[in-house]
Amino acid sequence: MSFTARALLRSCAAGALLMTALPVLAADYKEAPALAAAAKAGKLPPVEQRLPEHPEVVKPLDAIGTYGGQLRFGLRGSSDHNHILRMVGNQGLVRWDPAYTKLVPNVAEKVDVSPDGKVFTFTLRKGMKWSDGKPFTADDILFNVDDLILNAEFSAPQPRYMTGGVPMKVEKIDDATVKFTFTEPYGDFLAELASPLGQHPVLYAKHYCSQFHPKYNANIADTVKANNATDWKNLFLQKCGDIEIPARWGNVDRPTLDPWVVKDPYTGGATRVIMERNPYFWQVDTAGNQLPYIDELNAPIAQDVESLILAAIGGRIDFGLRHLDAPANRAVLAENRTKGGYEMFEASAVGGTNMVINLNLMAKDKELRELFNKKDFRIALSHGMNRKEIIDTALLGDGEPWQNGPFENHPNFHKRIATQYLEYDVAKANALLDGLGLTKRGPDGTRLLPSGRPIKFKIDVIPTLQPEQVDMLQLIERQWAKIGIDMDVNSLERTFFYERTSNSNDHDAAVWGGQASWVPGEIPQQIVPVHHDSRWGIPWVQWYKTGGKQGEEPPASVKERMKLYDEARATTDPEKRRALMLKIADIAADEFEVFSVTKALPTYGIAKTNLKNVPATMPSSWYYPTPAPTLPQTWFWAK
Amino acid sequence: MLITYIIRRILWSVPFLFVVSLIAFALIQAPPGDYLTTFAATLAQSGDVVDQERLELLRERYGLDQPFIVQYWKWISGVLVGDFGISFEWQQPVSNLIWERMALSVTLATSTLLFTWAVAFPIGVYSAVKKYTLGDYVITAVGFIGLAMPSFLVALVLMYIAVVFFGTDVSGLFSEEFEKAPWSLAKIGDLLSHLWLPVVILGLGSTASLTRIMRANLLDELHKPYVTTARAKGLSELRLILKYPVRMALNPFVSTLGWAFPQLISGAVITAFVLSLPTSGPLLLQALLAQDMYLAGAFILLLCCLSVVGMLVSDILLAVIDPRIRYR
Repeated sequence: MSFTARALLRSCAAGALLMTALPVLAADYKEAPALAAAAKAGKLPPVEQRLPEHPEVVKPLDAIGTYGGQLRFGLRGSSDHNHILRMVGNQGLVRWDPAYTKLVPNVAEKVDVSPDGKVFTFTLRKGMKWSDGKPFTADDILFNVDDLILNAEFSAPQPRYMTGGVPMKVEKIDDATVKFTFTEPYGDFLAELASPLGQHPVLYAKHYCSQFHPKYNANIADTVKANNATDWKNLFLQKCGDIEIPARWGNVDRPTLDPWVVKDPYTGGATRVIMERNPYFWQVDTAGNQLPYIDELNAPIAQDVESLILAAIGGRIDFGLRHLDAPANRAVLAENRTKGGYEMFEASAVGGTNMVINLNLMAKDKELRELFNKKDFRIALSHGMNRKEIIDTALLGDGEPWQNGPFENHPNFHKRIATQYLEYDVAKANALLDGLGLTKRGPDGTRLLPSGRPIKFKIDVIPTLQPEQVDMLQLIERQWAKIGIDMDVNSLERTFFYERTSNSNDHDAAVWGGQASWVPGEIPQQIVPVHHDSRWGIPWVQWYKTGGKQGEEPPASVKERMKLYDEARATTDPEKRRALMLKIADIAADEFEVFSVTKALPTYGIAKTNLKNVPATMPSSWYYPTPAPTLPQTWFWAK
Repeated sequence: MLITYIIRRILWSVPFLFVVSLIAFALIQAPPGDYLTTFAATLAQSGDVVDQERLELLRERYGLDQPFIVQYWKWISGVLVGDFGISFEWQQPVSNLIWERMALSVTLATSTLLFTWAVAFPIGVYSAVKKYTLGDYVITAVGFIGLAMPSFLVALVLMYIAVVFFGTDVSGLFSEEFEKAPWSLAKIGDLLSHLWLPVVILGLGSTASLTRIMRANLLDELHKPYVTTARAKGLSELRLILKYPVRMALNPFVSTLGWAFPQLISGAVITAFVLSLPTSGPLLLQALLAQDMYLAGAFILLLCCLSVVGMLVSDILLAVIDPRIRYR
């Protein structure tokens, strides 16, 4: 175990992983009463045969729980499949610890990383079973990797499973050991596996899903036809799903490794999703009780958020964060705490900000592009924002002026990028703009460009994403008018926003959420343009993604950061990785490409008062993903 | 005579439905982006991150990179043989998703229509005959409120009252234990016990307007000479009103069938959304919002068919009750 810990420590962020593997003897395993009865009646094997030889021993947060009950959470009728993923489906080979600072083994019992960071050897849990009782072995991983992940017909191999353009190789050492080999060092690989998007190696059960694969099913055409599918890929997705599509939760027969399995599926037109305990789940608590404690998840499907809030107030939701945590709902949820029988918990931001302003440094309008690329112009805009006024009016006083990047208490905190040019100083802003030669003004006081055209640009925003962004921008619009800059808030429907910004680069400027802590697995899109949410340099993103074939070649400082980012992803030494990220931040701070108003605020969810082992505060992030690493399978109802 | 009329009407509906399908498909395609951009945007709203490479792959697989007319042809040629395509969002054949919902929608709409008629007819007659009495004023006042209040608002208010004052949940069409149960007498009973609330909410507006129509039409007729003649000949008042002026006033009542039916189905979308009813409305709205075009297209096509059928039925009924139409 300690070697595992060292290996993980080496390859991951700072902090030590020490799993307290208290010895639990097989004979001591206990199970839910319903399962015990089924085992006694001969319908299920006894619990010690259902568990692997070495189940993961989990120390519950506060107390050893008791079995029983139902956990209700509110789903929405469309595109809410990731809500289920976040509650039960984050069972990758490794996962994040509850604090989101280090990686711990999950499906794998341990992982060894070669010193050069190219070879990852996973030891699986011997005797582990899928939810239908069939063994989970190295063959399943080989099926997932060779027949699906790296099968170009099924899907183009994703960058996460490649280094230097070459896909990884996976070998089976024995039934419980697999070796992943890369051609180049890839220190971030484990963090990628811990994120919800990195679970492909253990997503599909070979014994079930191979029947929908042409390599294993000679009569695939008949199966396709019998299921009304268009081709085998459609059939496969229909039956076995994929990480991020609703069909993952639409088939009750698909075996999984999750604590609860689907009983009433999430399909078009469903009104409720029910998940029941997986009798073969591979975790036990420190007293030898097989997890999960709670018998059943019950998720009624509401069509709109208002009915979800009504349900929460009415006490019909036991745990809720997603959809409910919009700042506008906080007052009404807090007011009805007693009536609804719940308490509020904090979902803390990992760092960064809720609204980062991206001037488009590659704007198609040449004059604006030239202007935006002047650092003094960006500094002037930053000094021209009265952050205190914005926080007091648009955010009801909640916030603290902030530019970009992780908070003070985080190891990746970078003081300059977070706090430079924050003070409100109209005189300084005016002086900077005058210094750029923008001294002529039009009749309304707006400064004029050299061509005589007023400085006027639009900031694109999606009003439904975070409604307060529009309020903040409207205040900024007025504040910038005082320094002679005419900015318009351009509210766009979300699809149109994506089209205009990330796809066609037609925007002058845009805002986006900028939560960031620069840990492995997370994309630092506000300090290096490598993702379609880096709206300050979309052609550079394309250049990076296509290896220089498309897009436009970025300037030296951006290229330097891209190089450092690649190095950071390769390194297995967390200290070195941290140093590299801070070096990127150094350059980003020098360039000062993006700026923002305030620190990201925590949001608040609800948990029933007698639901135990729910932490009072948890990180809020997709890469974590909230609340999965707090282990809902250890939550229980106080008697 | 009537038969050729019906056949002609049915034949005309074929090109009509074709045009409708084309327009519906074009409208679904009209917003910028496609299912996948919407998918990415929706997930971003909840803080999820979508794999960009995956998106490109899916776009190709779903054929979303093909021109409009190719996509339309693929869809409509399938529809002609009963294959409505695959729902992108659910990865399931559209036909698996729509029928039960359509059936519940039609049940809801039919019940609402019957409720509307059953209430509007006697009340309309009463308020015309007893014009300017206290009863008429009360009915008129209630009618105006019913006309003025959007039904989804009524639904929200009722839901709020139910939760806050009675601690019960009035949404949905089935109790929890019956949601997944196979159809049985008990389940139908459960459905009926839940159905009345949406029926009342949805029926409120159209009941009010039908009452007003009935009242106005009947008032026109009541003072015509034939009524006076009949009264002079000593016919009893009840028999007189029901047999002559009411029959004349009934025409608009029957012709409402044509538009009331589709209106009830599409008008119920927001109400059904608010009340979380398992009818076609919420799924249609979701499909439209998600640009899940085959699913949305199937719904719109079926709703159009319903309107066509509704119009046809109302025209036939009109011909049946009014000889003047039949012989013209």
